[in-house]
Amino acid sequence: MTVFFKTIGFSIGLALIFTLVTQLLPQVEGEAPVETKVDLSSLTMDDFVAMGEDLFMNKGTCTLCHKPPPIGRAPDIQGLDMVSTSAERLADERYRGESKDAAGYILESMIDPSKFVVAGWGKKGSNDTVSPMPAVDKAPIQLSVMEMDAIIAYLQAKDGNEVTVSLPSPEAAAEAAAAAPAAGGAAAASAATAEEALGKYACSSCHAMDSEDPLVGPGLATVGARLSVPEIRQSIVDPAAVITEGFPPAMPADFAEKMTVKELEMLVQHLAEKK
Amino acid sequence: MGGADQRIAPIGRVHIAGQDFVPAADSAASGAEAPELIAAPRTSRKDYPNVGVSSRAVVWILAQLHLFFGALVLAVPLFVLVIELVGVTSGDERYDSMAHEFMKISLTGFSITAIFGGSLALALFLLYPDFMGYMMHVFGAQWLVYAGLFFLESFFLYTYYYGWNAMRYGNLKWVHLSLGLLLNGAGMTIMVISNSWATFMMAPSGVNEVGVVVGNIWEVMKGPLWNPINLHRFIANIGFGGAVVGAYAAYKFLSTKDMEKRAHYDWMGYTSNFIAILAFLPLPFAGYWLMAEIYAYSQQMGITAMGGILAWLFIVQAVLIGTILLAGNYYLWAGMSRTEGSKRYKPFIGFIAFVLVVCFLTWVTPHTLILSASEIAQLGGSHHHILGPLGIMPAKNIAVNLMLIVTFLSFQLYRRSDKVATVSWAPIGNALMVAIYVVAIVNIIFLGVYYGYFTNTVYKVGSSVAQVSSTLVVIIAGIVIDSLMFKNAKTLPSHWGRIPDRAQYALFALPIAFTWLMGLMGYVRSSVKTHWHVYTVMKDNSPDNFIPTIGYAGNMITIVTVLFLLFVLFMFWVASLSGTKQAKPETVTEGGVA
Amino acid sequence: MSEENKIGGAALLVIWIAALAISLVAFYGLDHLIMNMQGLPLNADLTPAG
Repeated sequence: MTVFFKTIGFSIGLALIFTLVTQLLPQVEGEAPVETKVDLSSLTMDDFVAMGEDLFMNKGTCTLCHKPPPIGRAPDIQGLDMVSTSAERLADERYRGESKDAAGYILESMIDPSKFVVAGWGKKGSNDTVSPMPAVDKAPIQLSVMEMDAIIAYLQAKDGNEVTVSLPSPEAAAEAAAAAPAAGGAAAASAATAEEALGKYACSSCHAMDSEDPLVGPGLATVGARLSVPEIRQSIVDPAAVITEGFPPAMPADFAEKMTVKELEMLVQHLAEKK
Repeated sequence: MGGADQRIAPIGRVHIAGQDFVPAADSAASGAEAPELIAAPRTSRKDYPNVGVSSRAVVWILAQLHLFFGALVLAVPLFVLVIELVGVTSGDERYDSMAHEFMKISLTGFSITAIFGGSLALALFLLYPDFMGYMMHVFGAQWLVYAGLFFLESFFLYTYYYGWNAMRYGNLKWVHLSLGLLLNGAGMTIMVISNSWATFMMAPSGVNEVGVVVGNIWEVMKGPLWNPINLHRFIANIGFGGAVVGAYAAYKFLSTKDMEKRAHYDWMGYTSNFIAILAFLPLPFAGYWLMAEIYAYSQQMGITAMGGILAWLFIVQAVLIGTILLAGNYYLWAGMSRTEGSKRYKPFIGFIAFVLVVCFLTWVTPHTLILSASEIAQLGGSHHHILGPLGIMPAKNIAVNLMLIVTFLSFQLYRRSDKVATVSWAPIGNALMVAIYVVAIVNIIFLGVYYGYFTNTVYKVGSSVAQVSSTLVVIIAGIVIDSLMFKNAKTLPSHWGRIPDRAQYALFALPIAFTWLMGLMGYVRSSVKTHWHVYTVMKDNSPDNFIPTIGYAGNMITIVTVLFLLFVLFMFWVASLSGTKQAKPETVTEGGVA
Repeated sequence: MSEENKIGGAALLVIWIAALAISLVAFYGLDHLIMNMQGLPLNADLTPAG
């Protein structure tokens, strides 16, 4: 029996030593990317650049490879002025893309990295014609157009160059708003008030709430005077039924699936009172 | 649309009273399309049942125990068959009975594997219904083939084991060996089928970007990582199986004072250790292939494994492999006391031990790491200030290769320790062997230092292949030269059982380190998928879709290792029951039932 | 190393040097072969070519 306890004790003790080693190492958790909401109304270019930097370091996973030599596996973007570097590459005879400027070149490199492979960094055996870099707009990285723009803004701004990309337009935001909830993430709790519902469904991305100025869609400051209650309801659940003249059919068609009846009725009442 | 005929339907769309509802074009289209085109489901948090404890932890434990026992029962018949064959060709009955004993002690393992497999499937279907639904959809009828193979496996297992003594000699022995071969064939097929699920999750093939099945089952199975994983698991299983049965022999050795039994179990323990270490030596090369294929499939996935958060894990891996190599070497050195001729090689042991320790320390030197700005802040910089140059891959490659070479040297010396070469060219053979060792070691250091520190990344990576090749050349040359040189060698007497008790603890360290190592590698294999169930195709939106910390993983691995230990003890105990017979009570006691 | 085969000191030295030379050539060739197979040619002095 002593043999039994000795050997069991030895075995468990050894396993505990291994456990101890893991406890001594830095404890880092690999979080899944979290959906972040961007408030477009107050977004400044500085915020946009900061967002681009964060994307570059984290969600975009760019720094996994793009880091300083000798440990990098791709050109050291942080160490290079990407605007002047882009100009050099656009002038290179091996360049096969269609871009004309730095922003276009950077975007092209993210979406189709093989358009220009920096000498020495191509896939093994491809003689620098095929890039090992994944397309960042595809899974698993899946950056949106807005996110790639933010990265371009960051890469332009970090060396003091002029930022040529524009802040995200409301169209892009509407697109993102329509795509994001469908792509997953926990369903938000039902809104309690009409104002909350307006925020939850990002109505103000496209509609001015307190003026008649057109954005993507018409302003809604006096919508109650223009439309009846059933018309407002129809415009939300089936936006394509009647489109105000001069506006694109850009409104998401799936509010009917997403809204609760209570939210819909609150919104309809709220808008009907705007006269 | 008469009022009385209206049916109650779930609310799909809110529409305005009094207006006819026109179904949207997209929903009509999706109904009309061929039912084959089913994309991977997009789940949200609420699609994952909450059972109060972490679903991932439950699946983790069940999957790992299933895998441990699966690995054991796939490996044991494999080397049992080889040992049986050795017994037949050499005519030495001891091999045959040892093979039979290995089979006996792992027999309950088949049922335990099945029990954990069933529990795992149940847990997965209950806790991850959408994911499992998708996997069922992708693999389809393959599951039936898989289930069918269990019947074959059981049939061959029972006929092989229970028919052992019935088919022991002559032609019947060959029937028996064929049964063993079929048993292994069924087992291997089961393994590669279940591997295809794991590799599909890591690197899906045969499906399009959104997970719609576009290829046939073969295209789904034959993903880029399937064969590397098959080979890696196949080799590792053998090492693992050898280590576990070695612990059995060591336990039996320690618990008896009978010299004859001690000799038997010493020999059994030696054979197990031999199998474990022999299978272990090529494992890093299979691992290298797997990692290379992972990089080729997705550079991002490769770097997540080797350069990101998980990079720390390879320090733990180094500790484990160091433990395995030191234990294996120590056991060989201690075993030299069995033979008279081993004194010649004693001076080498100090040298080997020194190389092992230096290499081991180089290997556990912290890596160079970069993942994200927040992590760099957390770790306080990406380079270790003093140990930086030793922490990067070339130094570690040198260390690993040298450790493998000197382990092989230990092994070779042990094999030589009871023999004296009689061939006339023995001095030439020895000179060549020594020269090969020396030049190989120099070459490995040169390749690592020169290409690793003074050329570009591409040559650095390429040179590690040349290092590995040098190691392989040493191993192959050693086996070839020795087998020719000691063909009709004079054998010195050796005494089985003449080994210190403390050497047996090396045989316990091996399976514990092996088990723990498998658990650790399972953690990294699964974690490189990050927040995906099926990489790039089906997102994981469960509450556990993050990579846990290394400490948490360490706790989980120790839990599964200890559970495995307990179940293995149970398995050995059941095996020992079959050899025990209760003596018939001579008198009926007073209080007995009338 | 065995006692049965007595070989003179000079002959032994030749054997050892020859063995060392053969091994050096073999591993030199191995390095070239393996690196070339990966599309990474070497110069004669083992520096990267190209």
